[in-house]
Amino acid sequence: MDVIIDTRPLWMVLLSHTGRPIRFAVGILAFYLVATMETPEGLTLEGQRALAVFVLCISYWMLNVLPLMITSLMAIALIPLTGVLTSAETYALFGNSAVFFILGAFILAACLMKSGLSTRLSLVILRRFGDTPRRLLLGTFLLNASMAFFMSEHAVAAMNFPIIAEIVAVLGLRPHRSNFGKALFLAMAWGSTIGGVATLLGGGRAPLALAILEQATGDQPYTFLSWSLYTLPVVAVMLGAGYLVILRWFPIDIESVREAETVLAEKVDALGRLRGDEKGIAIVMISTVTTWVFFGHSLGLANVAIGAIVVLFAVRLVEWRDVEEYVNWGIILMYGGAICLGAALDKSGAALWVAESSLGPWADSPRLIIAAMSGVAWLLTEAMSNSAVVALMMPVGLGIGQDVGFPVAIIAPVVAIPAGLAFAFPIGTPSNAIAYSSGYLRLRDLFVPGMLLGLIAWIVFNLTVNFYWPLLGFSPV
Amino acid sequence: MLSPVHLKLELAVRGIRVDPALAAQGVLARAPNARDPHSREVEIVLPDNVVAACAMQPEVAAVTSPFALEVKNDQFWLTGAGEEAIKVSILPQPRYYGRETSLGTPMWQVGAVTGNYISIDPAATCGFAIQGVTCAFCTLKPQPAGAAQTLRPVQEVVETVRAAFDEGVAEFVYFNTGYFDAEDGGFSALRPYIEAVKNKFDTLVAVQAHPPADNQWIDRTYAAGVDALCYNVEVYDADLLAHYCKGRTDLVGRNRYFEALAYAAKIFPSGTVWSDLIVGLEPPASTTEGIDALTAAGVLPVLSLFRPLQESALGDYPALKPDEVAPIYAHLYRAVRDAKINVQWMRDLGYAVTPIEARYFAGEDAKFDVAVSSFYKSKIGSRAVRGLSKLRRRLRVKEVRESFDSSKL
Repeated sequence: MDVIIDTRPLWMVLLSHTGRPIRFAVGILAFYLVATMETPEGLTLEGQRALAVFVLCISYWMLNVLPLMITSLMAIALIPLTGVLTSAETYALFGNSAVFFILGAFILAACLMKSGLSTRLSLVILRRFGDTPRRLLLGTFLLNASMAFFMSEHAVAAMNFPIIAEIVAVLGLRPHRSNFGKALFLAMAWGSTIGGVATLLGGGRAPLALAILEQATGDQPYTFLSWSLYTLPVVAVMLGAGYLVILRWFPIDIESVREAETVLAEKVDALGRLRGDEKGIAIVMISTVTTWVFFGHSLGLANVAIGAIVVLFAVRLVEWRDVEEYVNWGIILMYGGAICLGAALDKSGAALWVAESSLGPWADSPRLIIAAMSGVAWLLTEAMSNSAVVALMMPVGLGIGQDVGFPVAIIAPVVAIPAGLAFAFPIGTPSNAIAYSSGYLRLRDLFVPGMLLGLIAWIVFNLTVNFYWPLLGFSPV
Repeated sequence: MLSPVHLKLELAVRGIRVDPALAAQGVLARAPNARDPHSREVEIVLPDNVVAACAMQPEVAAVTSPFALEVKNDQFWLTGAGEEAIKVSILPQPRYYGRETSLGTPMWQVGAVTGNYISIDPAATCGFAIQGVTCAFCTLKPQPAGAAQTLRPVQEVVETVRAAFDEGVAEFVYFNTGYFDAEDGGFSALRPYIEAVKNKFDTLVAVQAHPPADNQWIDRTYAAGVDALCYNVEVYDADLLAHYCKGRTDLVGRNRYFEALAYAAKIFPSGTVWSDLIVGLEPPASTTEGIDALTAAGVLPVLSLFRPLQESALGDYPALKPDEVAPIYAHLYRAVRDAKINVQWMRDLGYAVTPIEARYFAGEDAKFDVAVSSFYKSKIGSRAVRGLSKLRRRLRVKEVRESFDSSKL
């Protein structure tokens, strides 16, 4: 944990600190105003109250008044308290299969990390790539991206951070000054971010979007494989673009990485031979992903995940205390609350009413609406948690989909994919925050190339929606 | 009649004769410490509460000094400054000097009181001595090859600070680290002491160190609870600095001092980052340039007065002439005032003329600053300063983990 000193004028700092009670009050005021205004035409009383809870949650998520998961818990309590749904209905929504799929994915990732298998993979791959600066950089970028196909992106960044930190230390790269140091940390952050959108395992955004979609429509049109097919062009182009942007912004300024090679070789040697538990976890992991790909739709993604966990515990490859240490329980609470809120908005008709009221005039321009939604999702995710962006935009997006008349299923990737592509700020995603905490990057090192990369991603995404998705039989018009 | 600060300057240069019977009592000598056990000084409080550290016998300068400290009717009097004797008081040797820590170390070796602060040297010697590059004006001797930096137990420091505070002879804690051969400038070694003191006492902590390699360590120093920070340049002229302070130029680099000071001045409150310049070791014009360079960076210059110490390499260096250096102090006052640097933090230094004291040389009364300074010295003012210092730190310091947490999901 490192520190930064806020050197803005003290009055400004003071103002930003005293802002919290004000932001807290703003949310309550917004809730009160929406809940007590005259019920608009076309909106039910339950819908109005659901909207009031939604406005309160949005303001707290966006203004960072409470931890995200606490805001979600608050939503769960407010939905029955305001009479939108009954307590039984509300709390039952928490038992959504997406929540358990995310939990299962976290536990499997925890096993990979605890066993040291993921670290071994990183070291072996980096050693193989790390004979020249350019190859080491490319290796770091692709390693993080490919690992984020199977583990949540922030876990990948957190796991590889110490390795990168040691490499830059032995290479004697100076913080803030070394281009190659900056490039390596950005390769770690952006590689894992781009890789994280490729599959349902890269983060909780996609499962959350699918869960809200399923709650609203009762249907789940995506499989583990089909989701990755939809994201494929975005991931492929962004991997190329990300690497080129890093090289262009931070030209390699060292000749050799021999010292890093030596350190990596020593670390790989120190690991010794592949242990039995690592082999066991690798087998279970490969089997699980294979089952997700081929039988995920029929067996259920969450059921497969839980089955895999049962096997891991049955053959004693992992202990419960290991899991407790690695799983982010807050995220589970956050997702449960977001799913409840999404369902409340949908069932009460509030989501549809918002869509009709706000986007009625553009109802005949679905491409424009998708461009706008994906743009908003990208810009929001640069400044706030990407899961909160999904929780915020999915219910309204589903309403828009119904109102405009295009397949509502398209809303899930339209929100979830751009919401995962935060490159420009430490606060946008944990991968960026971890890279920034290295001390090698200044804010502008992230901001300028990060915004460019985000813009490229948004353009590529919209081209993908309009020209590639129709090839898969999935068209917005 | 001389002003109290003109008199302070004279006393610093010429020393003071003390009645041998009085000197023998020992309680007058204020500043023995582990680093400089030979030093024999008496700290006297002149009119206007100006604290002056004066060499006394057996220091050579003091033997022939025109000034003398006498006792009449249980009062201390300074003679030799004019026709009339001046009533002064002395800051006597603290009683805790006679005590030992629980580990058996004499407390005066752990922390010595100067002015209103207790000065702690956690390291037994300065890193420059270990590297064989001591400063020419210092009494420390180069250590044998292979000598290592040893640190005092934190417990001893806490016990000594508590003894000084309980006795009421110190308000603040001043850590003097000396040079550490480490990227962090010794911060990591010092951190446990800072944390222990901050944890156990409601006090302000000042640190005198040498610049770390990276400015992030300065952020960490402020975040850890340090309220004031000093990187001593000592001599502004580059050639003379290399001549007198080889360690500073060879192991740290002159430019790094100025870079680090300028950065620290942006992090710490105005007037809490300072650097000593030794008056008398370089031409007055050079010291004046140094004052301008420091104030331009928002750093408070503190002009210490060069007094050749017999045990140092500069034992035979000619003593400075007060008349020649007085204009430097006038310049100090104006430069600090023009740069709008807060002068309230730096006070009660016996060994140096502080910027607010330098007003006497500039012929200014600085009534507002003096009034505020008096308030800061009061019990309520001192408490307010400590509270504001804590509040500022709480507002300004952000842990990077905060941004990680906020984006964790």
